[in-house]
Amino acid sequence: MQNSEELKWALLIASLAMLTMAFCMISFVMYYQKRRFEEEKKINDIEKNYNRLLLDTALNSEETERRRIAQDLHDDIGTMLSLTKLSLNQLNKLVSKIGDDKQDLIMKKSQSLVEETILHVRRITRDLVPTTLERFGLMEAIEEFINKLEEDNNLVISFHSNTEEFPRQGQKLELTLYRIMQELVNNAIKHASCSKIDISLEVDDQFIGLRVTDNGVGFDPEKIKENNLAGLGLLGIESRLSIVNGTMQYERPSSGGSSAFAQIPVMPIPENKPEPLHPFRRERVNI
Amino acid sequence: MSEIYIAFIVRKPIPSIAVFITLLPLILLVVRKAYLDPSFKLLLFYLFAKLVIDLIMLHSASLHRNNLIFYNLSIPLFYALLSGMFYYKINSQSYKRLLTFTMVGFAAFTIWDIFHSNSELNDMHNHRAVLYSMTVQGVLIIAIILLYFYEIIKSLQIPNLLTFPFFWVCSGLLLYFSSLIFIAPVLHYTATWNNSIDLGIIRTIPFIFEILCAVLFSVGIYYFPLKDYAKQ
Ligand SMILES: Nc1ncnc2c1ncn2[C@@H]1O[C@H](COP(=O)(O)OP(=O)(O)OP(=O)(O)O)[C@@H](O)[C@H]1O
Ligand SMILES: [Mg+2]
Repeated sequence: MQNSEELKWALLIASLAMLTMAFCMISFVMYYQKRRFEEEKKINDIEKNYNRLLLDTALNSEETERRRIAQDLHDDIGTMLSLTKLSLNQLNKLVSKIGDDKQDLIMKKSQSLVEETILHVRRITRDLVPTTLERFGLMEAIEEFINKLEEDNNLVISFHSNTEEFPRQGQKLELTLYRIMQELVNNAIKHASCSKIDISLEVDDQFIGLRVTDNGVGFDPEKIKENNLAGLGLLGIESRLSIVNGTMQYERPSSGGSSAFAQIPVMPIPENKPEPLHPFRRERVNI
Repeated sequence: MSEIYIAFIVRKPIPSIAVFITLLPLILLVVRKAYLDPSFKLLLFYLFAKLVIDLIMLHSASLHRNNLIFYNLSIPLFYALLSGMFYYKINSQSYKRLLTFTMVGFAAFTIWDIFHSNSELNDMHNHRAVLYSMTVQGVLIIAIILLYFYEIIKSLQIPNLLTFPFFWVCSGLLLYFSSLIFIAPVLHYTATWNNSIDLGIIRTIPFIFEILCAVLFSVGIYYFPLKDYAKQ
């Protein structure tokens, strides 16, 4: 009897030990799984933020580079050209005193060439850096862009927005919208062979929407993404949007053509304007 | 006739509850349509087979007949059904192959064990419980569950284990077999007609955990999302 009593105790202890182990195992799995899940999430977040930062930096440096080129063009070549023009004017006076027709003709031609070059340089600098955007805001910039396009194309480009006065947004947001608009319109001109482009800007207190519609051949964005046909344009739009949490939708209106709609959440404009990251006027280095 | 059962139930309330509680997860499983998932379909078969075998055993026990042959035969069947459940849940191909081997091997082992434990097979009255099989089954199932847990932790696909039905099923099985592992071999010696040792509370521990296991199954099945589970 004594023996069986002891056996019972041993069994009880063994079973309880086993059960405790089972309990511990279950709790451990639960705890550890949760921990790892949280860690994984954290790492994912960090990675995402890092990628975003990288993209942001890349785009920012692209803009900086544009500014630098524009400034060099303006300051160096522009100044040289102005000086050349001045010298030519002086030369012109000397030449006209002599009164040789042939020389006069060449003189005039050189002068007009220099004038034209100055205009070109100015146009290129302005294309590189959307100064109107910075000074007067998105609406003016888009209008200017349209006017310039309509001048040398027989295209009808219309632009409307749901507000008279488009409130100024953060610099980055405006630039993003402007560049997207630029690429979408360029695409329509390049690929759609359309006769009409419609740009519209919709603002409410949460989102800014930009829609570009053309009446051209239309396209299937899915197919283009699948077949790796996307050029830099559409990809660039995506990456610009990903930085500001924006979304892009392509639609095919029933009337034909294509319509692209970008939506960006409104970000509060920082109160105290931070120092511009890439100031237009850069310190000149004197050697 | 029914007085015999009632007398038995009153005499042994906890084992009887352990029999009838199986109805709870079984009904829930059908109501929540959890059987759409292959693993839970096998769980349905398992619960149903368990209920039927338990009822038969209860019937013969109340008639004072030896019912241990059912206990012995149910072991390989239950193992096949339970490990089959994990067959659908485990991802690794090599583990799956291993599982199939253990199913066949374990069935053969149990049959050997039945012969080994009973020198006189024709003598139904003195049929005895198998000596090793139940413990081996417990070890195998616990090993499979631990393997499965390892896969869960490694793959990190389930955000919240507490609402993941199969985790509850695993926990129930883990506790049940842990409670049984040491006691099962003793049954071979004690569950006989002329047995002098009464295990007392120790004999009821597995029944308590059988009940707990059924409750945990029910909790898991309760968390079963009514639709879209098949996608998971
Ligand atoms: N408005 C449109 N109408 C018709 N097809 C379009 C339109 N916009 C884009 N596509 C198609 O989508 C493709 C990808 O456009 P995306 O702007 O990415 O590249 P791209 O314009 O060819 O090159 P990049 O913009 O880099 O100079 C284009 O090649 C064109 O076939
Ligand atoms: Mg393009």
